[in-house]
Order: sequence, then structure tokens, then C-alpha cells
Amino acid sequence: MPIVCALVPVYEVEVARLGDVRLRERPLIVVDRLERGHAIAVDAHAYESGARAGMTLVQAAACAREAAVALDDPVRNRALWERALDALDAVSPLVEDAGDGIAFLEMRGVAGGDVQWFASVREALESDPELARLPVRTALGPNKFVARAAALVRDGTVVRSGEERAFVAPLGLGYLGLDEPEIERLELFGVTTLRALAALPHGPFVRRFGPQSARWHALAGGTDGAPIVPRVRRVAIERSLFGEGTAEREDQLLFALRTLVTAVSGDVAVRGKRCGALRLELECEDGDRVVLALVFAQPTAQAATLFDLVRARLEGVELKSPVTGLRLIAERLEPGGAELSLFAGRDPDPEIVGIALARLQAALGPQAALRARVASGNRFEAQATYEPFTAGGLARATQAALAPPAALDARAATLAYRMLAPRAIDVRCERGRPAWVGTHAVLEAAGPWRVDETWWAHALASGGHPIQTDAYDVLLDDGALVRITSDGGTWYLCGTYD
Amino acid sequence: MVGPVPLDRHPEALEGLRTALAARYRGASPEAFTLAEESVVRSGLEALDAALGGGFPRGIIATLEGPPGSGRSAVAARLLATATAGGGLGALVEVPAGPEGSFFPRALAAAGVDLDRLLVVRADRAGQIARAADILMRAAAFGVVVIPATALRAPVWTRLASLTHRANALLIAVGLEASDELRYFASLRVRLQSSNATFAGESGPFCALAGIGVDAAVLKHKRAAPGRHAQFACTTFERDGAPLGTLRERTRADAAALRPERRAAIR
Repeated sequence: MPIVCALVPVYEVEVARLGDVRLRERPLIVVDRLERGHAIAVDAHAYESGARAGMTLVQAAACAREAAVALDDPVRNRALWERALDALDAVSPLVEDAGDGIAFLEMRGVAGGDVQWFASVREALESDPELARLPVRTALGPNKFVARAAALVRDGTVVRSGEERAFVAPLGLGYLGLDEPEIERLELFGVTTLRALAALPHGPFVRRFGPQSARWHALAGGTDGAPIVPRVRRVAIERSLFGEGTAEREDQLLFALRTLVTAVSGDVAVRGKRCGALRLELECEDGDRVVLALVFAQPTAQAATLFDLVRARLEGVELKSPVTGLRLIAERLEPGGAELSLFAGRDPDPEIVGIALARLQAALGPQAALRARVASGNRFEAQATYEPFTAGGLARATQAALAPPAALDARAATLAYRMLAPRAIDVRCERGRPAWVGTHAVLEAAGPWRVDETWWAHALASGGHPIQTDAYDVLLDDGALVRITSDGGTWYLCGTYD
Repeated sequence: MVGPVPLDRHPEALEGLRTALAARYRGASPEAFTLAEESVVRSGLEALDAALGGGFPRGIIATLEGPPGSGRSAVAARLLATATAGGGLGALVEVPAGPEGSFFPRALAAAGVDLDRLLVVRADRAGQIARAADILMRAAAFGVVVIPATALRAPVWTRLASLTHRANALLIAVGLEASDELRYFASLRVRLQSSNATFAGESGPFCALAGIGVDAAVLKHKRAAPGRHAQFACTTFERDGAPLGTLRERTRADAAALRPERRAAIR
């Protein structure tokens, strides 16, 4: 499997030099910050002077006194390399992003040979003026490790399949990407090259140096089974509105903006994403260009929310001339949203439900939004339990969505029961049965149904209040159907049938 | 000049009115005034849905009024069952410490409510009920929302009516009686009254509540003809535990027949 490696040695240094031409003439140390910072990368001249990545700025500067110091810019580094990867997509269908400054391209099935492939890589990168100034090395190998090693050795190196073991044999241990202590440990055994490492017996070596050393041993023999991992393509969502007249008033601008926001939110939702930031660009008639950036605390794909936030951001922005064009770009796209069921029909959006739940909890307290459950128990009160309501899992599976709802009886409803906070009531009995509840006569009484939980409470010695109640369902002369219980001679109203 | 119609000419006047209406609204029938299927939430009770012109209209505030034991909660549970059965969501705002208490989950499940898709919101006072209803309606994710018919100020009902209309949902207020503001803002008012209660079995522990009969009257309806009545039954949710035996019906007449001297004796 031929793999081309595109490599920019000490990428951070080269990017820093792109930004300031004066730095090209001098040794360079790139640091993470100027005060109490550490060296991120050093160029070849600074390296020769003794400066190393990982040193403090003071140490590195002391080693390479003539070296210039530049501040690292990870965002710019990443953005530039993303552009390089976008350009390399034209060369191969499989491009792996192996970090800033290094990419692997699988060339299986791509027409041409190594010369054409290298030329294609250079041509693709030279299409961007900034990328064209990067000193990119290209090399070919049968696997990723060999291709990278070849690129590090010399630009344009070609290692054919079958030659990899011989090629890597004279190389030092540094090519394996090992830490200094591990290299020192191997050197204590007299192992300084990959040839010496590959010559060691596999079993005893792995037992002594641990499981990770199995990979070192394989790489030292020029074998790398790691496949190409295609990079995740950057999703760009952008909508614009130009050439349809000018917006002179705020309402005209908002009308156009609502159209754009709806379109962008639809694009975001269709990709199963949520948007964490928006960039709005307004082109004005006098040539002025206003760029507004919005960052959201909570990524969303809801058009109404996005529009409200954009409108709020626009407040206070003064435009000197009518707007002739708008462009809205969705940024910081994150995975999210609900997986849509093909036949779901009226499945609710969990995100919307989640927002409603959050608002309920904020307004009414953390235990305000609940889901009722039926539990097993002897008393009605024990059969009702509640748990926090969650929005997850509301979308139904396809089969459930297609199944028709259970038919309800068309002539009779099911009587509901309302549980009341038990309160003591006055009940008078005749012949041992309730005859009067408060001021209402009892027309009919069903019961008693005795619940006696005392015996196991005593048996288990669990303490607490043992329950021994007699429950009645009674019909009162005003038509009310209530459940009353007698507990140790005290009567309680527990609920009503309704 | 048109004067009052004499009493002895009432049948002719009625017939004349019928003829005039038939000429003006030719081909119109009672079915022509029923609401479209997609614009209503059906209770599934034939008699009640027919009295309402097809069901409870979406996008409105409706009331279920009546004393405890009149079956208003049973109708509310039916509507929640319809809302959750079709894959939608229902919500129930309740005040557990209040006079109406909280719905019993087992009875809701027996009524056909999918408890997984029913949000139960606990509130303490009227302001919280209004706040909860506001939030639920703003979400526009709940097809049916049941709240206690509490007394709220007119601006609150205005806002809730507007939100309910925008959400195309059904907001049901359940209570003894609607306040003046609620009477005004509710597009549909249904009053329920139990006509009888049925007990199965002889007496004592061998006796159980079997169900009630309900009379429903449409007091107000902005989208169909008001003044209609419906009768239906409500059966107990204790299907497994109901004892076999003869059914005994107790009606309002029984209450009236309770002799005054017995009342006095008990007092």
C-alpha cells in the first residue's frame, strides 16, 4: 500500500516565519508564552546551539543567545494546516491528519508513480500562496512509519515495498518517537539503532519493556500495521443573501435575517449538529463591511433561539448606509440533536423538552418535573412513585411508531383517583360501619380492606411507624366518592374517586 | 312591523324558521358543523365527542367543571391518554397538598395514559401553576396540558390563551367551578355531574365500587353549538380486584330519600 507523507519539519517555526520575514534570517525559538514560557519548537540552528523543545524560555535563550523568540499561535497553526489538508484532498481520496505539519495520503489506485504523486502534492499546496511558502517534504513508503521516516531523512525519498527493513535499519531510536528515559534505557543495553532493536528476540524484549514495546519492535523491522484514518471533513454551513435590493430599515434587515437564520438552522439540524457560534457579515452600500461574532453558551439548532440571539446582538450596531448583502456562517458545530425516526410522526424534539424541563426546574425547584411510576404495594400511597423526568428516550422506535394506539372503550371512561394529603376527619359509625363523614351521610360503604404491616415491622425490628389500617370506599350524599381509612381509632380522608 | 308571535302559533313559527334556514343554508346538516379531525383531541367517548362536535378543539383553553366524584378527572385522564398514545406528550400540573390532591398513577395507567410520556409537574400555589403552564405552552411540545382550575388574573389567562393557540395544544382546567376570568377566556366549558354510583357485591368487604354514571353539559363552545348534553359511564380501575356479584345502583334520589329523622339521629 503506497503512502505519501507530506511533512513540514518544525511546523510551528515555519508558521512563525511566514508571519514575519525578518525571522527567516535568524535562529528561532517558538514559545507558548513570553513570561515564564517554555520552548515549543526550535529551528535547526538553535538546536545546534543546544536549545531544545521543552526547555524554559530562559534556558533555551541561554543556549541560543542569538536566536529570536516568537510566540506560538495554535489557532493559526491549525487553520493553516486545515487549509493544507483541504488542498491535499484533491490529490488522494484518503488523507489522514496526523497532527499539525504532517499528513498521510494513501495512493493506492491513484494513477501515476512517485514522481507524479510528489508533483501533485506540491501543485495542490502551491495553489494557496501562503501554503506555497511552507517547506513541505514529501516521501513515499509502504506504510505510515516508513513514509514519515523517509520524509524526515530527506525530501523526495522513495522506499519501495520490501525495502523498508533495510531502510529503517540504520536510523536512530528517535524515529520511534520514544521519550528520553526510554531511549537511555535501551542505550544501556547497547541498542542505539533500529537494526539493533529489530535484532533483539521479540518475546524476552517485550517481557522486559512492557506491552508497548511490541510495537517498537515491529516498527524497528519496518512493519507498521496502522491503517490510514481518514480525517473528518470540515462541515461548512453558510448562507448568503445578495442582489435582492437594499435593506434601509431595521425591520427589512430583520426580515432578511430571519430567512437566513431559518435556512442555516435547517442546514445545521439536517446534519445532526448544533451550532455553538455564528458569524454575521453585513455588506453595506458604501462598501463598509460589518462582521458580528456570536458565541452561544449552549449550542443549539433552533431557528427561533438563533434569531433571538442574532437580533439581540444587532441591537446597538449602527450602520451608516443601507445593507446590500448578508452572509451567515455557522461555526463551532457540535454533534447533537435527535436521531430522527423515519415513521416517528409526532415524536417531540428532546432538545425542546429538555429546555422546558430546565425552565421548570429553575422556576419551581429541582423536584418539579417528574415521571409517575406504578410500584407494588399494599396501600394506594405505596403504589405511586415518582422519578425525575428526562427528555432522553422520548423518540420512539420505528415499530412502536407504526403500531396503532390501543383502542379505548368508546362508552366508558376509567374512573380516576386523586390522592390527598391525609387529613383527620370526623367519622361516625353505625354497627361498626361508617355512617356519617363530617356533615355528609354515607349512602354506601365498601370495605373494610385491612392493611396490616405491623407483623413484619416487628419481625424485622425495623422501627418506624407500623401501619394497620382499615380502608373504606364510601359514597356520600353529595355524590362524592371518597376513600377513608381508620388507623388506631383515628379516621383519615385519603383520596377521592373522580 | 314584526310583533311577538302568539303562543298558539308556536309550531307554525318554528316550521317557518326551519324553512327559512333551509333556504338560506341549503344542504347544511348537523354534521357540516362538526370540527375537522386534525383540529380536535378526541376523548374517545362517543357521546361526549358528539356533543362537542367531534372532540376538544386544539389551541384553546377548556374547562372540566364539577364537584369531586363527577368524573372530570376521568375525562382529563382520557385526553391525556389520547395525547400520549399517538406518540405525543402530555403534562399534568398538580398541587399535591391542595384540596384536589394528585392523580393516582395506577388509575392513569389503567385509563390508557403512557406514563413514560406524561410529565407531572408539582406546584405549590396558583402563581406556580401559571408559571408551569406558561413554560409548557411555550415549549409547544405537549399536546394536552391539564392544570387545576385556579383563580388567576385576567392578563395571565390572556397570555395562556395566546400561548395555547400558538402551540396548537389543549389546556384543560379541572376544578369545582371556573372563576370569572376563566369563564371568559375558556373557549369550551363542560360541566360534569355524576348521576349514579354503582357498587358490585352485597356488602362489606365483598362489595366494591364498580363505577359511576356521568352527565356532561356543554356550557360554552366557541367553535360548535353549545348546550348539548352527553351521558357516559366511568368504570373502576380496579379491574382485577372487583368482586363478582349483583350490581347495586345508588342515585341522587337515594340521597334525597334519606329520612330527615335519620340525619337528625346521626347528628
